[in-house]
Amino acid sequence: MDLMRDCLDKLLEDGNKRRMGRVDGIILDIEDGSQPHVAYIEVGVKTVMNRVSPRLADAIARLLQGFGISTEPYRIAWGKVKVGLNKVTADVEAEKTPALEWELWLRKKVIGRIPGA
Amino acid sequence: MKKILEIALGIVTSVGGFLEIGSIATAAQAGSDFSFQLIWAIVLGGICIIFLVEQAGRFAAVSGRTIPDAIRERFGFNYFAFLYLVLALVSLIVLAAEIGGVCIALELATGYGFQWWAIPVALVIWLVIWKGTFGVIEKGVSMLGLVTLCLVVGAVMIHPPWSQVAQSALPSLPRHDSVHYWFVAVSILGASISPYLFFFYSSGAIEDEWNEGYVGINRIIATGGMSFGSVISISVLILAAMIFAPQGVKFEHYSQLPQLLVPVFGYWGYWLIVTSVGIACLGAAMEITLELAYLTAQGFGWNWSENQRPLDEARFSAAYMLAIVIGTLPILIGIDPLTLTIFGMALTAATLPVSIVPFLFLMNDYSYVRVYRNGWFSNAVVLVIIGIAFVLALVSIPLQIFGGS
Repeated sequence: MDLMRDCLDKLLEDGNKRRMGRVDGIILDIEDGSQPHVAYIEVGVKTVMNRVSPRLADAIARLLQGFGISTEPYRIAWGKVKVGLNKVTADVEAEKTPALEWELWLRKKVIGRIPGA
Repeated sequence: MKKILEIALGIVTSVGGFLEIGSIATAAQAGSDFSFQLIWAIVLGGICIIFLVEQAGRFAAVSGRTIPDAIRERFGFNYFAFLYLVLALVSLIVLAAEIGGVCIALELATGYGFQWWAIPVALVIWLVIWKGTFGVIEKGVSMLGLVTLCLVVGAVMIHPPWSQVAQSALPSLPRHDSVHYWFVAVSILGASISPYLFFFYSSGAIEDEWNEGYVGINRIIATGGMSFGSVISISVLILAAMIFAPQGVKFEHYSQLPQLLVPVFGYWGYWLIVTSVGIACLGAAMEITLELAYLTAQGFGWNWSENQRPLDEARFSAAYMLAIVIGTLPILIGIDPLTLTIFGMALTAATLPVSIVPFLFLMNDYSYVRVYRNGWFSNAVVLVIIGIAFVLALVSIPLQIFGGS
């Protein structure tokens, strides 16, 4: 598998086909004397912004923290991940993970309060 | 029979949804300042948009993904972030111009200044998107947009010199005001080759659940819809060339628009043009608003669909609400909608390569489009369009500075 081509930036879904975001980062475990292996995939604004600029990532993280939104990346163990042709599926329940924290915050605090939502 | 109906409906909605404030303003300006001479720019822009829309539709139908979706996957986050920032900025300016267009139509209808209409118009856009489905916006508003065909009727009834019109379909060098001529030509191309149009089209193909069986239908809809749409733009140019140019009148304000149809239809001409501008801009404003939300949601992997309840896609809903708020602000503070339109079209032209270059790679990527990859002819056309896009990107801002009056 070519991790960059087949996994990074691919759509991430849970087992119920609920979209969780995209694979924003891949964490490799590198130990002396052994082959590096994939430990986790990461989802989160800080991870993806770090790819553009670590300073920008810190600035955005501070801004979002001001709204009470955690910006810590959410890690999913590689063992729970299945890389498909067009998407990556994680063996988790999306709404119970931090990946949808912002979605749930907006649903509860903003969108849900508007009539007809 | 079902397919014929789908094709007819697709073409009708494409025609009804084609005209927007940028096409109207640039065509009217071209007609008033250079008579029929710039018809070639609309024809060239029309050919480019036919190919891009067809490819965006084919890509979505075969791969099940939209163009922005695939750009993030294929080119990575950094390129997507650049595209996103550029496209969001340009789209927000164009959205403001479209909202301004609706407000101007309401000003012409009621006599109350356009600024007063900014918030009511924003609320209507929000309400339709909030409560409506994709079908309501795509088909309902576009059907209403068919009123813009009155411009074609007007252009025929005014009896233009058709041989001169036909000759102007081929490019020619300016006879006066060279810098301004090229600026208007660039603005027309910017208005015709709108990235929001083909990105929205690819999102629409997913919303309408197109699959490989729609490749042929898509080709007919893209070609038919965009061609007839271009005819409406050409009609605006013809009317301006026949009415403004002989009197030496420059198109400098939207309040001059009713003069395009009044000589043809009399009293009803006034109301036809007000209705046409209002509905065309309202439809375009909704499409751009949705496109901004689609672009954001697709790039970041959120759930998105105009057919779901807002509560089920809170981030998608928040994205279009934010777009409406930002797009309304320039009109609310009184920035002239025509200035905003002309600036928006030039900026669109300046940023075209960012949106169009990925087509060349995506439409040749077997993992996405399999046997429906571009042939040599389509690739050659995309290369030509990319060439045009780079030229436009280089010249549009200097021309805006020196010829944008």
